[in-house]
Amino acid sequence: MVRLRRNFLPFLFLAIPILIYIVWVIGPMFYTFYLSLTNWDGLTTPTFIGFRNYQRLFNDSVFFLSLTNNMKWLVSFVTIPVVLGLGLAMILNRAIPGEKIFKMSFYLPMVLAMVVSGLIWGWMYHPRGGLINNVLVGIGLLERGPGWLSDRSLALWSIIIVAIWRQVGYVMVLYLAGLKSINPEFLEAAKIDGANDWKVFQKVLMPLLMPVTVIVLVISVIDSLRAFDLVSVMTRGGPANASSVLANYLYIQAFNNYRMGYAAAIAVILFLISLVFIFIYLWQVMKNELEY
Amino acid sequence: MYRKKIFILIAVVMLFSLILSACEPERIVETVVETVIETVVVEGETVEVVVEREVEVEVLRDKEVLIYNSYASDPAPREADAEIVEMFMDEFPQYDVIHSTIFHEDFKQAIRAYLTASTPPDVLTWFAGERARFFIDNDQIMDISDVWESEGWLEDYPAGFRALSSVGGNQYFLPTSWYWWAVYYRVSVFEDLGIEPPTTWDEFIEVCETLKANDIIPITIGTKYRWTTGAWFDYLNMRINGPEFHIDLMLGKESYEDERVLAVFDAWRDLLENDYFLEDAAAYSWSEALEPFITGEAGMYLMGDFIRDSLPPDVIDDLDFFRFPIMDPNVPIGEDAPTDGYFIAANSQNPEAAKAFLAYLGSVEAQTYNAEKLGRLPTHTGVDRSMFNEAQQKGLALIDGADYVAQFYDRDTRPEVADMGMNVFMEFWDNPGDTARLTQLLAELDAYRIEVFGLE
Repeated sequence: MVRLRRNFLPFLFLAIPILIYIVWVIGPMFYTFYLSLTNWDGLTTPTFIGFRNYQRLFNDSVFFLSLTNNMKWLVSFVTIPVVLGLGLAMILNRAIPGEKIFKMSFYLPMVLAMVVSGLIWGWMYHPRGGLINNVLVGIGLLERGPGWLSDRSLALWSIIIVAIWRQVGYVMVLYLAGLKSINPEFLEAAKIDGANDWKVFQKVLMPLLMPVTVIVLVISVIDSLRAFDLVSVMTRGGPANASSVLANYLYIQAFNNYRMGYAAAIAVILFLISLVFIFIYLWQVMKNELEY
Repeated sequence: MYRKKIFILIAVVMLFSLILSACEPERIVETVVETVIETVVVEGETVEVVVEREVEVEVLRDKEVLIYNSYASDPAPREADAEIVEMFMDEFPQYDVIHSTIFHEDFKQAIRAYLTASTPPDVLTWFAGERARFFIDNDQIMDISDVWESEGWLEDYPAGFRALSSVGGNQYFLPTSWYWWAVYYRVSVFEDLGIEPPTTWDEFIEVCETLKANDIIPITIGTKYRWTTGAWFDYLNMRINGPEFHIDLMLGKESYEDERVLAVFDAWRDLLENDYFLEDAAAYSWSEALEPFITGEAGMYLMGDFIRDSLPPDVIDDLDFFRFPIMDPNVPIGEDAPTDGYFIAANSQNPEAAKAFLAYLGSVEAQTYNAEKLGRLPTHTGVDRSMFNEAQQKGLALIDGADYVAQFYDRDTRPEVADMGMNVFMEFWDNPGDTARLTQLLAELDAYRIEVFGLE
């Protein structure tokens, strides 16, 4: 009886989260797959149309524009905040005066809700009354500030800068945690063996920080794929789709144009892209676990 | 341990009291005619008499709950909307209206979810015309012919509004207010520069030149949410090609690749390339673009009359408007005059209460209140026209003088086509000189029109 209970109990506890997970995550996921094969408009009964949505998707220039924008976002996200965050962590890891205040102020942007960041930066980017343009014009650098969010060539980058500004502090904290867990004896040993700072960083610190780096990269990739809030608040993907990303495009298709089936197809594509990166991550984690 | 139990107990008690208070029916005081058997002493004899008399009894009864979702989210309309609900509940205490105001853009996005829910809102605000037609065709809007009949609206509402609300001879929609579109300008700015409001296109261009020469932005516009560009397309198309072509284009019967559409973009290009519009327009919402207009840095704004809701009083005193200039005197005059109103969801759980509320919303009383408070034009002919202010009289004359009245770009055509169309306008706006790109964009838009209207 006792043994039975012991075997049974974990499943009982697991049952609730699994049930919730099935109802709220797995179920909707499969339903989305199904919807992507229909022409559902949110009102009438969905009719099955096979792969027509996908066919259309591959002829849709806005879809490819959004995908390209996601890729631009991804590339800048796995480089700039990672390098800056690591640099800041290296600097702030030693005892310098006011180190806590620095750490806090770099991390603070992360505490703000995305929407709030988007709104505040939206005001800063304001072409006529915004902080940035007033400073640029005020110090005489420019005759007239650019329309950061209204210029089709600048809009996406203006948003990515905000995202990076948020992300740097987060990456920094992850690396700081990683650095704290490194045994200082390794560094001392390297120093005694005559390694200079760069060598220590390159040959000792970086390999030891590898698990953190993997996590940072994966988080950056996933964050850049699900980018939505900032775009939605700052430009709604405009002007004329110039700053559109997949999540925003699918949102507009679903809730502005009521093309639920088509939006579901975009969601499926986005899901498949994310899946590739998630597999890489899991594979990396599993491999490491087996080594230990 | 003991303490923890007490906390849990308190939590449970609080939860229950919340649930209980939510369940408690509201008391309504009702006057009921009761039949009582009374014992009366008449001349020494005891007689039982049956008497009917009115008594006030406190009846424990649930108020009839009515869910009302509204998109009147701008400050002034929101206030008026809440006031109307209060007035209704004062007059009909047996109803309890649960009133939710949803941000305009969000409302448009959520409406299909509202309607298909098992307990949809009973009464909703919405746009007359194609947008309502779509829901009627999909059986999401309740037939309210009986309300039209019993309230006498069939006679009291002008034929145009009746037609706008009817499908197959039955009425589904209640149009309650409408407003006109026009070019708004600052009287003081025009007076300072000795400008007369233009009536023809040449005069309009001249005004733009004069303003520009005096370092005033001729036309302000905020295109962040894109629909403001739709107004320019509507008007240029109606003025150049006439309202008939315009509405056929909206209904998917004409092609976006037509040469007449290109003529619209040619005229538009002139305005853009001469820098008549506010720069970086895409950075502003329509109301953010009001700022240069308020400070007097910009002269004109093509806008609906709701512009008034967002302007400070001193600017409203300095505000006037003129009809979008005539470009070709041989072309009939078309105007945008969007009509707003209400409908009852087909699956309404409480249709009787919903109909009572709708009857109130369509009444002279409610419409008079809205016309006075917001300056919109009422649809009910019973509303006293002499109380209209100067602007309302002028707006009314503007529409009376039109040969055709359209709703608006994103109300007259299918939402998905409008969405793509407005993106075309935005891209054109960004680079008006690239005619090859424009041709390509219009070809894509037209292919989409054919697909959406099922013309394949």
